[in-house]
Amino acid sequence: MNPFKYIGRFVFMVLIQALFLNQLETGLGVQGMIYPLFLLFLPVEISVIFLMTIAFVMGMCIDAMSNTYGLHTSALLAVAFSRPFIFDLFAPRDGYDPLIEPDIFSMGHSWFFKTYGLLLLIHHLWFFSLEMFKFSEILLIMQKTLLSVLFSYILSILVHYLLVKRPKKNEI
Amino acid sequence: MRNFIAFIRRFRVLLYFALLQGIALAFYFTFISFPRAQWMTTASAVTGTILEYRNDITKHFNLSKNNDWLQKENIRLRKMLKQSRISVDSEKGEDSNVVRIDDTLWRQQYDFVAATIINSTHNKRNNYFTLNVGKAQGVERGMGVFSDEGVVGIVHNSNTHYAVVKSCLTKDINVDVLIQGSGEFGILKWDGKDPRYGTMTGVSNDLTIKKGAKVITRGGAAIYPRGIPVGVITKTEVVEGQPLWDITVKFSVDFRKLQRVYVINNLLKLEQKELEENIPMIAQ
Repeated sequence: MNPFKYIGRFVFMVLIQALFLNQLETGLGVQGMIYPLFLLFLPVEISVIFLMTIAFVMGMCIDAMSNTYGLHTSALLAVAFSRPFIFDLFAPRDGYDPLIEPDIFSMGHSWFFKTYGLLLLIHHLWFFSLEMFKFSEILLIMQKTLLSVLFSYILSILVHYLLVKRPKKNEI
Repeated sequence: MRNFIAFIRRFRVLLYFALLQGIALAFYFTFISFPRAQWMTTASAVTGTILEYRNDITKHFNLSKNNDWLQKENIRLRKMLKQSRISVDSEKGEDSNVVRIDDTLWRQQYDFVAATIINSTHNKRNNYFTLNVGKAQGVERGMGVFSDEGVVGIVHNSNTHYAVVKSCLTKDINVDVLIQGSGEFGILKWDGKDPRYGTMTGVSNDLTIKKGAKVITRGGAAIYPRGIPVGVITKTEVVEGQPLWDITVKFSVDFRKLQRVYVINNLLKLEQKELEENIPMIAQ
């Protein structure tokens, strides 16, 4: 448990999101958002209250740098709130090992796809619904959500391999 | 009381979530209509400085385009110089018949501040730009912003050294515009889909609207002078159930690669506002 590792990831994610991804023009209203990955990496045993506090601070940092006034914060809070439920839903047969960090190397690809995919879907749906805030634009919201989830998921996998070191075989 | 504490304990996660979510949503919905604090926006000193660092790097990507732009502006100004004009009655020598008009007859109404956009978006529902000028340069809330190509937006919020502009790509920008030539006027809006096209509403559909006609600012709200270009009409449709045209306007500004803008300070704004406040409510 190394706090500096988490602080480094926090700063990295916020800067990448605010200075790079929020400026990227991809067409079709697609917007890549990778910072929910930071919440996924936090240990399983962490309390929800603490998780939501971190989500609030992180969202505010991103909002302050991209003129969205609380939009990212709101969506990230929804992710933090639903993380324990989704973790329970896809828990392995004998529960989570409290010592490990939940990532691809420790939990496997299929777990990561289900858990992180669902978290991203919640985040993006919340984000775009709040941004549009109009029931008549539901088709546009759906289009933006689905395409962006696809884009964000691919980006997140890349960032995941960049940030997390593959553990050596003999340690396991 | 014990029941109350037990209740809070039981639902503490949900209550905490509701509290934080409430703060975030309150920020979101109040900031869109009126900025109350500045520390949450890019006009604040810390994020403004970070964004300026980034702009220091990324501005060089467009260097050649900016040079072209400056050269065009120079040519336009050079054409106005005396040396590049020929006297109409050149036989009698230069300016023999020319009457000089004293300049003090003309008072300045608009003052301009040159600014650079250091942060911008164009694919959100509401898009804001951050400028590197602020109250120190006299930029205040409610001033108009335009580039040499056309209207850009209205200053939403400003700090000592930075300002946030509500661009034409927001939900309720409502710029007063008119169609050049025929003179019908309406209000400019944006539907949130394509950053190249806006819509003009409020034009009655018994008037004929020509495609390709230019749309310019009307200068009604004391924000812009009259005649700043907005765009060109590309499509007209009838609004169902209402006697109005739904006019699609192609913006003359490309918001996706905008960098240099001017902020307008209308020196006579207060006089106009003062007069307009005196209109009795019954007459409206």
